[in-house]
Amino acid sequence: MVVDAALSVCDLGVLDSLNGDAVQEIVESWNGYCLATEALLNGNGDLSFGSKLVSQARTLCNYGLGSLVEEHFAGFLEETFEKNGASKFWEHFDAYNNVAGREMSVDPIQKDSIQQVLCKALEEISMEKQYQEKCLLLLIDVVQSHKDSMPEKNLGGTERLHLLSKYQSMVSSVLMATLPPHFPEILHWYFKGMLEELSTIMADDCEDDNESHDKDDMDLDEKSKLPYRTGDMDVDECYHQNRLLQNSKVVKNIGIVVRDLRNLGFTSMAEDAYASAIFLLLKATVHNLAGDDYRSSALESIKGWIQAVPLQFLHALLAYLGDSISYDDNLSSGLKSPLASRPSSCYAGIDNPSEGLVRWQLRLEYFAYETLQDLRIAKLFEIIVDYPDRSRFAALVESTLQFVSHCSPAIEDLKQCLEYTGQHSKLIDSFVSALRYRLLTAGASTNDILHQYVSTIKALRTIDPAGVFLEAVGEPIREYLKGRKDTIKCIVTMLTDGTGGNSNGPGNTGDSLLEELNRDEESQENTCADDDFNADDKQAWINAQRWEPDPVEADPLKGSRNQGKVDILSMIVSIIGSKDQLVNEYRVMLAEKLLNKSDFDIDAEIRTLELLKIHFGESSMQRCEIMLNDLIDSKRTNANIKATIMQPSQAGAEALGEDAISQDLLNATIISSNFWPPIQDESFNIPEPVDQLLSDYAKRFNEIKTPRKLLWKKNLGTVKLELQFEDRSLQFTVTPLHASIITQFQDQTSWTSKNLSAAIGVPIDVLNRRINFWISKGILSESLGADSNDHIFTLVDGTADTSKTGANTGGCEELLVGDDDGDRSVASVEDQLHKEMTVYEKFITGMLTNFGSMALDRIHNTLKMFCVADPRYDKSLQQLQSFLSGLVAEDKLELRDGMYFLKK
Amino acid sequence: MTTINRQDSNTPVTAPPIASSKQPLPTAKTVDTQSVRKRLQSELMALMMSGDSGISAFPEEDNLFNWKGTISGSKDTVFEGTEYKLSLSFPNDYPFKSPKVKFETSCFHPNVDVFGNICLDILQDKWSSAYDVRTILISIQSLLGEPNTASPLNTQAASLWGNQEEYRKMVEKLYKPVV
Repeated sequence: MVVDAALSVCDLGVLDSLNGDAVQEIVESWNGYCLATEALLNGNGDLSFGSKLVSQARTLCNYGLGSLVEEHFAGFLEETFEKNGASKFWEHFDAYNNVAGREMSVDPIQKDSIQQVLCKALEEISMEKQYQEKCLLLLIDVVQSHKDSMPEKNLGGTERLHLLSKYQSMVSSVLMATLPPHFPEILHWYFKGMLEELSTIMADDCEDDNESHDKDDMDLDEKSKLPYRTGDMDVDECYHQNRLLQNSKVVKNIGIVVRDLRNLGFTSMAEDAYASAIFLLLKATVHNLAGDDYRSSALESIKGWIQAVPLQFLHALLAYLGDSISYDDNLSSGLKSPLASRPSSCYAGIDNPSEGLVRWQLRLEYFAYETLQDLRIAKLFEIIVDYPDRSRFAALVESTLQFVSHCSPAIEDLKQCLEYTGQHSKLIDSFVSALRYRLLTAGASTNDILHQYVSTIKALRTIDPAGVFLEAVGEPIREYLKGRKDTIKCIVTMLTDGTGGNSNGPGNTGDSLLEELNRDEESQENTCADDDFNADDKQAWINAQRWEPDPVEADPLKGSRNQGKVDILSMIVSIIGSKDQLVNEYRVMLAEKLLNKSDFDIDAEIRTLELLKIHFGESSMQRCEIMLNDLIDSKRTNANIKATIMQPSQAGAEALGEDAISQDLLNATIISSNFWPPIQDESFNIPEPVDQLLSDYAKRFNEIKTPRKLLWKKNLGTVKLELQFEDRSLQFTVTPLHASIITQFQDQTSWTSKNLSAAIGVPIDVLNRRINFWISKGILSESLGADSNDHIFTLVDGTADTSKTGANTGGCEELLVGDDDGDRSVASVEDQLHKEMTVYEKFITGMLTNFGSMALDRIHNTLKMFCVADPRYDKSLQQLQSFLSGLVAEDKLELRDGMYFLKK
Repeated sequence: MTTINRQDSNTPVTAPPIASSKQPLPTAKTVDTQSVRKRLQSELMALMMSGDSGISAFPEEDNLFNWKGTISGSKDTVFEGTEYKLSLSFPNDYPFKSPKVKFETSCFHPNVDVFGNICLDILQDKWSSAYDVRTILISIQSLLGEPNTASPLNTQAASLWGNQEEYRKMVEKLYKPVV
């Protein structure tokens, strides 16, 4: 302040000392100066007014009017720049004002013209700017020299810098203020065009490289080196000289444009433009390279491309610009990138890659990973649907490398991407919504859903061995499957049907689950093999060393699931809730299968059972084992009885003549009914000779196995029979009831349905249903009798109707599967459940009668406490709830405020 | 207290003979609670599965020896349309001793006092281990329609019994339905 005050006083003194001449001189000099300025700046590069300007300015400076001179000059500069520079500059781009960017990209002529226009405009404005700078420098010299002559105000060279930077900011502010909105777009398209051009050159380059180097067995390192060599500005190889030139020309062009833009203050805009162009191109390339092919890995080629095109471009650009860009200095010091510290062979062509380049590489690679990841996540559903490719899987299973992850390369890529980006939650969200939208719908069959679930488990196991994300993704599938009635059945079929009995699934799901069982077995064997007394400790130590924390997304409530392996079977079982249900369903299925067997070949079942035993424990499979043992016993007992009964049977045969049937034809499956699922009973009369045979057999059994007695389940089993007509014979394999029906026609060719049902001992409706089989085979014909309810069935004469049954002649064997009539030999799990639930219903009614109203968990607890006899209450709260809501729906109960009441 | 004392002096109503499906159990002096539990458990199962209408009983939540019962008045009696709650308490030596059965809801009946005590022979001296919860409940249900007015606990009810119309009005007036 003191100094300022002194200065002003001093200046005032100067004013006082001015005489008329001096004032006159100042005015003249000022006028001259103004004219000279105008002439100089509008002089189109003519510096002849320079000397005049200099002398006038010097005079004015001598009068202490230096600041006035500067200001006037600056103001005039701005005006002129606005008029000559900026407005002309923008005029170049007016033509593109209305042109949408998309069209430009398509039209190559437009693209070229953009390049030309931009270059020309930049050249012009740069010339203008250079000229103005020259003028400014003239003035600066004057001011500077004046100031230098004044010892008390020795400011050195700062004045010069100050004025130049002021000019610089004036230029950019003028341009920014008049910036047309479409200019960034133009820049963007320019860079895009240039990059594409460059990319094409590079691609050719790479191809040529590959061709020429294929013979030399070039390794990867060298390959990645090459683009750098070609891109390096000072390279003086004769190799690919021509393209190099072309290449560096393109880069140089871009470099000039970037430099000019930067000089005009468009640093950030230019950088945005080429960055976005690069990213756009990268994205397009990723989409192009990755595409819809999930059978090959795209990651490597993408990385290669990043090295080849954008990085090389950037390297050249940064090198051209002297690599002194602001972001390079400002940002990088604190953020040392992990890749920067790693000496990478990628930089073999470049000594000490600049920090800026490394940062660019990281950015680009991250972006590439992210793009690929997004691409794969969006298609994850499709990838998993055909995962793993059937033939591939089979081949891998055959090979002993059980634990080599046999996954598709697309999944491998995704895994790597996710490791890099860490956006697992994105995967979960996207995949879950895809699942909900595309899989968990009423239209998808349970088999397909299960198949997809297994594939999902396998795929996600690759991505995330700890199973944390699987937990999140599997949840909706599991929840959905719980709501499906046939889930358990499908699972059991998948588990047991190794031969591919599942016909509605596109892939063979059964195989994979059975394989899964096998795989488990083998892994178990492996661990058993080295199960020394100290192996456990060793293993524990190894496991401890391998410990890794759960991913952050892990639900802490679920506990650590770092078991290293996700067990598909237990995940499948967890859908059902308890293994007991699964075992029960399996038992029913096994019973059905065993009862339908006509031979005693149960090797496959024994194998499956052994596998299941390993997984679910011996005790829970005990009943199934007994069932299989029954079959084995039956075979022995059968042989025993037949051997000892031979004599009486032959005697009988003589007595009964042709009607008698030898015991040889009879095979009995003897079951311990306590251990089998409840078996449907249906009584009917079987033909006398057969009945005799059965009772003989039972008697003999009783003799051998006293005190045990044989109770025939006459409706079960199969009968192989041959129908002999005059001209042909037909063979069938049918149920005993069917056989009984047709046997009745042996002596009497026509029956009314009433009489027939009485003879066989089944209700008419059952008879009508069963007899349809023979009618459909053309053996019997049906006609209306006198009474409309009483149909008449007649044996079709063989000769009369050969055409109809032609397809069946020639001793064809027809197996009638019980399921065709919706009829099974074993009570299904649902039936059993229903039966059990009826008991519970009585208990629930009982307790509600006496306690009025009860909450769900109290009912549950009460049932648990008091319903202990057979059938013991062993249902989950959820099962009870669904049962109760069933009762509410049947209007038996009422639910108010969480309390159940009896409906009065 | 007086009522209870008086109850003993009364001749209990003879329960109608009910055919029990169970064989009389061999009498044993020492019984462990386990077998009692088993017996009660199976009685509960039998009762639940029997499907008799108008009678029901169920153990309280935590105790198998204390049951709540429900009896509705039989059709064509003055008690038609009413529902009575009972409490059944089984001794540790059940079935060799009878359970204690009381009305929880007040019941205007010649053989039921104001405290809900019931005067019924099979619950006292005529008890046999062949009886079970189901038979007890059926007996009480039939007692409602066929009281023994000769030795009443509730003399007012006994004297009014002759006039069934008035009696019905009285039952309706005093009946407090269970909420």
